[in-house]
Amino acid sequence: MVDLVQNTIDGLMIGSSYGLLALGFTLIFGVMRRLNLSYGPSVMIGGYLGTVVYLQFGAGPLVVAAAVVVGAAVAGIYVERLCFAPMKAGAAIASMVSSFAIWMQLEQAAILVLPRHTYPFPPLATGAPLELGPFSIRIDHLVMLCSALGLAAAVQLVLYRTRFGLALRAIIGNPVAAHLVGIDVGAAMPLAFAGASAVGGVAGFLVLAVDQQVTPMFGMWVTLKGLIAMMIGGLGSVPGAVLGGLLLGVIEAQSQWYFGPQIRDLVAYFVLFAVLAIRPRGLVGGTFDASMPQKA
Amino acid sequence: MDDYTIGVLSNIGVVSFVALSAYLLLLTGEISFGQQAFFAIGAYAAGIATALWGWPLAPALAWGAVSAGCAAVLVGLPTLRLHGLYFAIATLAFAEMVRILFELFRYQVEIDGEPVGPDGTEGFRNIRYIFDHNIDAVQFLLLIYALLAAALLGFVLLERSRTGVAFRMIGEDETLAGLQGISVARHKVLAAGIAGALAGVGGGLYAHLTTYVEPRIFDVMLGVHSLAYGLIGGLGTAFGPLLGVLIDIGLLESIRVLAGYRMIIFGGIVALLLIVRPRGLLDERTVHGIGDLWRRTRPRRRQPGPGP
Amino acid sequence: MFEVSDIVAAYGKIEALKGVSLKVESGKITCLLGPNGAGKTTLMMTIAGILQPRRGSIRLEGAELAGLSPARIVSRGVALVPENRLVFPQMSVQENLLAGAYQRRDRAGIDADIARMYARFPRLKERREQMAGTLSGGEQQMLAVARALMSRPRLLLMDEPSLGLAPLIVAEIFDIIAELNRDGTTIFLVEQNAHMALKVAHQFFLMEQGRITFSGTPGQLAEDEVIQRAYLGSRRAAG
Repeated sequence: MVDLVQNTIDGLMIGSSYGLLALGFTLIFGVMRRLNLSYGPSVMIGGYLGTVVYLQFGAGPLVVAAAVVVGAAVAGIYVERLCFAPMKAGAAIASMVSSFAIWMQLEQAAILVLPRHTYPFPPLATGAPLELGPFSIRIDHLVMLCSALGLAAAVQLVLYRTRFGLALRAIIGNPVAAHLVGIDVGAAMPLAFAGASAVGGVAGFLVLAVDQQVTPMFGMWVTLKGLIAMMIGGLGSVPGAVLGGLLLGVIEAQSQWYFGPQIRDLVAYFVLFAVLAIRPRGLVGGTFDASMPQKA
Repeated sequence: MDDYTIGVLSNIGVVSFVALSAYLLLLTGEISFGQQAFFAIGAYAAGIATALWGWPLAPALAWGAVSAGCAAVLVGLPTLRLHGLYFAIATLAFAEMVRILFELFRYQVEIDGEPVGPDGTEGFRNIRYIFDHNIDAVQFLLLIYALLAAALLGFVLLERSRTGVAFRMIGEDETLAGLQGISVARHKVLAAGIAGALAGVGGGLYAHLTTYVEPRIFDVMLGVHSLAYGLIGGLGTAFGPLLGVLIDIGLLESIRVLAGYRMIIFGGIVALLLIVRPRGLLDERTVHGIGDLWRRTRPRRRQPGPGP
Repeated sequence: MFEVSDIVAAYGKIEALKGVSLKVESGKITCLLGPNGAGKTTLMMTIAGILQPRRGSIRLEGAELAGLSPARIVSRGVALVPENRLVFPQMSVQENLLAGAYQRRDRAGIDADIARMYARFPRLKERREQMAGTLSGGEQQMLAVARALMSRPRLLLMDEPSLGLAPLIVAEIFDIIAELNRDGTTIFLVEQNAHMALKVAHQFFLMEQGRITFSGTPGQLAEDEVIQRAYLGSRRAAG
């Protein structure tokens, strides 16, 4: 019983970052209606910039976080300009494959610049874990949870209380109508992309700081976690992304504890497959129908 | 031909099967990130057949194809209702599950006092059929290309057949195709099965080519690559995915100097290419254009016209 | 006041508009009729800037609109109520109206206009917090019109406002159209329902296969002939 609760606590903590990753993913998909396979790699580029700043200048966590966010945002804009902006409407598959090609490009570029298998990252917080009865909560986990929830709330605020947020939701709701009410959709896209990548950057920083290392596999990891959490919660749904992330975190924590890391991943994918087969809209139910433009 | 070239050509041949597999599904309008799962199933099944059960190569490859095809049909059924992104991610989830299951899969048999067989993450070694039977590299290369040629012939015939037209119609507009009386579900499952079997053949060949497979190989990267080949080479013809494989593995692999920067260059080229050619080099328009050109340059027969 | 000259627009190789010219007079209701596939929606989308014309000019009070982005066209005072309404489904009625005023920064003016919309469309006021996607067809149509009006357009374009609506609601919508025009809005309207459209229009054009084939006032042509050509196209155009 104790294990179950402890795992749930740990799962919710890490799940909060999954939620942020899913959030960035879902915002991009909502605005673009296309899957960005370079999302994870953009966050990884941010991570690598962060480790460079850490190693070269011995910077503290806040500066490193800023570097990660900037790196992710810049990489995001690069991807948007190359893979999404120039594509005509309906070239969704082409955009996706293009973003995959750039994924490979970013990954190899990162490895060329920083060829080692792993690079250090500053810790998020130091100190003994909090003991609450039989349960222990790591301080860095707590910081991660609070930061993630804080950022999710900030995103929610931007979306629902700012003019830019209104524009984004309009584009997500109906892109043609967004044009018709005078929203400059062409200018909003790269901004949304950069913003979503930045959100991913924060999530990436939190995970890397808890892990205290960054590896070249990080890009793929972010993409997969973000994707799974997003789909479980529901494509295009902001609360869905957060919920999906939290749920994924808990499922993984429990599976890993009782069955080990391979079963953990197996269960995660199985849950994803089951959600898609039974209720593709996801748990919270997104705003999208099940189709994505097929024609290139 | 030196060993290196034979190796590269064999690789191109084998990967072409997975590329064709993803391409077939694209024709019916579905994106699959998961064809590598059937590649894996074909590899393991064929490898087990020859190395553990002592089967000859041909039935082993057939067994690999059939296993993969059946698995594909089994997955195709629950995912029938899914489209677009949802379907794509479902295939990805399935393929990753298969990969992890192979990481947990152990099936060993004692042969000559040695354990042989799939050993979880350690992989499956000693698929030594072609060595034990003195099939040299060139002969195996010919086998790969003979099977590939058969597959291409199949595609050419398919494109002209009613089934092929039905596939493309479903790819264009599923609802419309249904209204025209095409049984969409049956055709999609059929496509899934054929695609799975294709990948399975490639997997079987791969296992015997390299004599060693491990689950790590059959990852998301392979899956997305397979899809990308069709997009790069062109979706207008089955030769499109082959062109994509040729460009990736053939061209860039052989330019050793660039090897370290291969993905940076290749990635950039692909992105730029897709901006101007979103459906690949040999896209439908180009293929039709080539067809028209061919028809126009054929010598005309003299027609008997109306009286002077 | 608003003039379309020789507009050519295409989807890839298919030319949908083959040189369309028409004039809309200030303060009047002008109607564009024609069979399905004639190109009416294409024309609306081209005027709104969603589709870029290959050739030709679109002028509002002398200023050239062809080639501008949709957002700039809105800033010049043209607003389109699109075919199928296209409300923002996950946003409330209130938010849809705010979106319509996207380019405006005058908070007080926007609030006053919203109040005015609620006065004109009391059903929308009742449902102000409701998600637009859950409104009925007629309510969505009203919302789409109100949303377009929020930008205080000089020219209001409407694409098939009666589409998919029950006859009673259609009558209501056309009452609103007539009322808006009485209050001074210039309206250019595409309609399949020729009968209702001719009741309110001051002038109408007939479009068939990407060209204007007739222009005049209601009464110049026998109504049945107009209706027949609006639905089926003239035999000349079809030949």
